[in-house]
Amino acid sequence: MISGSKPTVVGIADMKMAQNGGKLITYALGSCIGLCFYDPRLKLAALLHIMLPLNMETGRKNPLKYADSGIRETLRAMEAKGALRSRIVVKAAGGAKMFDVGGKGSLGNIGQRNIESVRMVLKKEGLRLIAEDVGGSVARTLLFDSDTGMATVQSYGKPHMTI
Amino acid sequence: MNIKNYEDLSELEIDTLREIGSIGTGNAATALSQMLGREIRITLPEVRIMGYNEAIDWIGGPEVITAGVLVSISGEINGIMLAVQPLEFVNLIMETMLDKSLADYTEMGDMERSALIEIGNIMISTFINALSGLAGMSLELTVPSMSIDMQGALLAVPMAAYGGQTDYLMTIGANFIAANKEVPCQLLLSPDIRSLNHLLRKLGVEE
Repeated sequence: MISGSKPTVVGIADMKMAQNGGKLITYALGSCIGLCFYDPRLKLAALLHIMLPLNMETGRKNPLKYADSGIRETLRAMEAKGALRSRIVVKAAGGAKMFDVGGKGSLGNIGQRNIESVRMVLKKEGLRLIAEDVGGSVARTLLFDSDTGMATVQSYGKPHMTI
Repeated sequence: MNIKNYEDLSELEIDTLREIGSIGTGNAATALSQMLGREIRITLPEVRIMGYNEAIDWIGGPEVITAGVLVSISGEINGIMLAVQPLEFVNLIMETMLDKSLADYTEMGDMERSALIEIGNIMISTFINALSGLAGMSLELTVPSMSIDMQGALLAVPMAAYGGQTDYLMTIGANFIAANKEVPCQLLLSPDIRSLNHLLRKLGVEE
């Protein structure tokens, strides 16, 4: 993919990679979290869109849906392309609380639980989380540039932010 | 036999859920019609079982700004009900109740906001009342909560709530018709899978 071309779309519970100027985008992160992985030496970028904190499914058909299995799966894919764990840096955006729901149940806390799980799993895997824009109550669209390793966060009614 | 996935539902079970959608949405339309003092009908209700990204396409793309009113259901069944209120629907309410229309959501003040929450809440409660009457169950609802933001992030709320059980989003709902014009306002019920089994058993259609 050449620089300036249309970004590759990363869906929900999905991960895509780009290299040497290719761009990646994931839309409307609410309680979900978008994770930008970058190996600056190779200019190799991966964007992961997770929905839930921990994979407790028996079948494990969809590892990219969860923070723990999604991060490991992304690492595996990057390492297969020659990336080194010691060089990889990570940026995260999302984990918002879209509705203020009272009553029983953990519905409103999914975003916060995702944030905590992401931080914990990254630490356990020895990856550096160098920037984040998480929490709050607004949705975020996340654009990631493999040329610079910069990520842009766009929210409704707010100026763009680069992390 | 208990279903483990939404995809396991039989034709008869889907028909039953569609009927629930029809009665629930029909009652909600009647309530709305009484509040607004004008005729409101519904389109043919649909039961949809969609992959996450398919569901986002179906609602009209991830980044469109929409109002959503959400109520969480508990008791004999657990679920989430979401009233998705696009600008066209918002303006139907605004023109009828407050004699004004909005160019976009940024023009919404506190009064407009509470009117929409109330409309959403009444529609959802009416739907759930019809459901609990049909199935002979008592259900509790949370206080309604509103969010105006990218619709992809709003729809991801029921997805994430049951994401540990399924890779699909199930919705039961329909659009509204006012003055012979289809006004998009989806009233979406997303039950969890255990609750779906219980509901079908209560309705006597479990196979």
